[in-house]
Amino acid sequence: MKAPGVRAPAARAARLLRWYPRAWRSRYGTEFAELLVADIEERPRSRSRTADVIRGGIVARLGQAGLCGAGVWGDPAEPGPLAAPRRSPAGRTGASLASLGCCAAVFAAVGGAMWSQLTTGWQWSPPGTAGVTVAMLAMSAAMGMLTVLALLAVLPVAWRVAAGRAPGVRGPSVLFLAGLAVVVIGGRHFGNGWPGTGGHPWPHQGLVPGGVAAFSWASTLSVSSFWAHPAALAAFPAPELAWMALSPLAVAGAVTGAAAVVRRAGLSPRVLRFETWLGRAACAAMALFLAGACAWVLARAPGAMFRPGLIDVAGLVVLALALAVAHQAAGQARAGAR
Amino acid sequence: MTIVPPDKALDGFGRYAGPATLILASLADGAKHGYALTKDIESFAGVRLAPGTLYEALARLQAQGLIEPVESHDRRRPYQLTAVGATTLRAQLAAQRRVADVGLRRLAQGWGSV
Repeated sequence: MKAPGVRAPAARAARLLRWYPRAWRSRYGTEFAELLVADIEERPRSRSRTADVIRGGIVARLGQAGLCGAGVWGDPAEPGPLAAPRRSPAGRTGASLASLGCCAAVFAAVGGAMWSQLTTGWQWSPPGTAGVTVAMLAMSAAMGMLTVLALLAVLPVAWRVAAGRAPGVRGPSVLFLAGLAVVVIGGRHFGNGWPGTGGHPWPHQGLVPGGVAAFSWASTLSVSSFWAHPAALAAFPAPELAWMALSPLAVAGAVTGAAAVVRRAGLSPRVLRFETWLGRAACAAMALFLAGACAWVLARAPGAMFRPGLIDVAGLVVLALALAVAHQAAGQARAGAR
Repeated sequence: MTIVPPDKALDGFGRYAGPATLILASLADGAKHGYALTKDIESFAGVRLAPGTLYEALARLQAQGLIEPVESHDRRRPYQLTAVGATTLRAQLAAQRRVADVGLRRLAQGWGSV
């Protein structure tokens, strides 16, 4: 008789299999489950087996995201349940680029929140120290580079989608455009409410135009330490609170849609090489921004406008992680695009 | 699929190069499914490959074209060596034999026969 709490081998195998991504399960799931059942029947309790399966699942998921060379792509010549683009080198490069784009979006959101805080401060008074000034110049140059690179990256993909050469991307394209529209319209709306945009007597004395600073501030309003202070948050106007909750969802929708479009668009090897080059350039821009942000935090500038807080230190950690993953994805994309 | 020289085919496997060699050696005498591979490798090498490690290596070997699945009505899918896989295994084992020969010869010179 089975002891209480002990699952049947098949149920345990099915549970362990969930660690692997769907595409991997479609290809190897049945046979892998059979192996797991046999192994569980022979060795009912094995922590090392569980740890090994979890590790294998994580590796497979990283491979599916184009972040490592795991063999989840299989043999392109073999008929199977995996869609052809996902199993080809081009599909793998597309996945790497999509992951790189997601990392760049996280970097832009967190870095944008940090940068907007500083550019907003500069609207009122220039930073008092050379260190902060140089740091802000580096961060601003990097932000400009990232914006240009993002526009260049979108162009060939948008062209292919608009020309109808990428079937199956209608849904993700709509998701991307809807998310982008919400961010732009909401960012403009709440940015216009910021005093520096119109009511400020010197709206153009800062490093960037007041409207740009206000838009950056409004579109990254959700990246805030106020979440840790509910009492202070409660004093916010309801529309602003709603925007703080909605805007991350809109960004997530836009990024998810864009990533799906890149993975499914079936870009040519030439375009993939171009996008990979842009991705590597984006990594360089992110590294420049991170260096500037570190310099600013380490400068410990006096005054409320330029003084870094704990959230900025946490932001540096997020930026470093996003850059590390983006760099890994760029390396994988480059290897696949050769 | 990228064509690489047989003696370099397992270079990109990293920590899976060991399991990959064991799998190729096990498949040298015929097709086997996952559990049969595990038991066979355990019997001739004294190493039990955990399921996740085994399938990670199988997927990489298949992606490199060194092994291929065999049509089967069973839920357990067998795999067999390809011609490239056989050449790779031969090159890999020859390299390992060279290391073993050198090590044994030097041991005999420095420590004598045990």
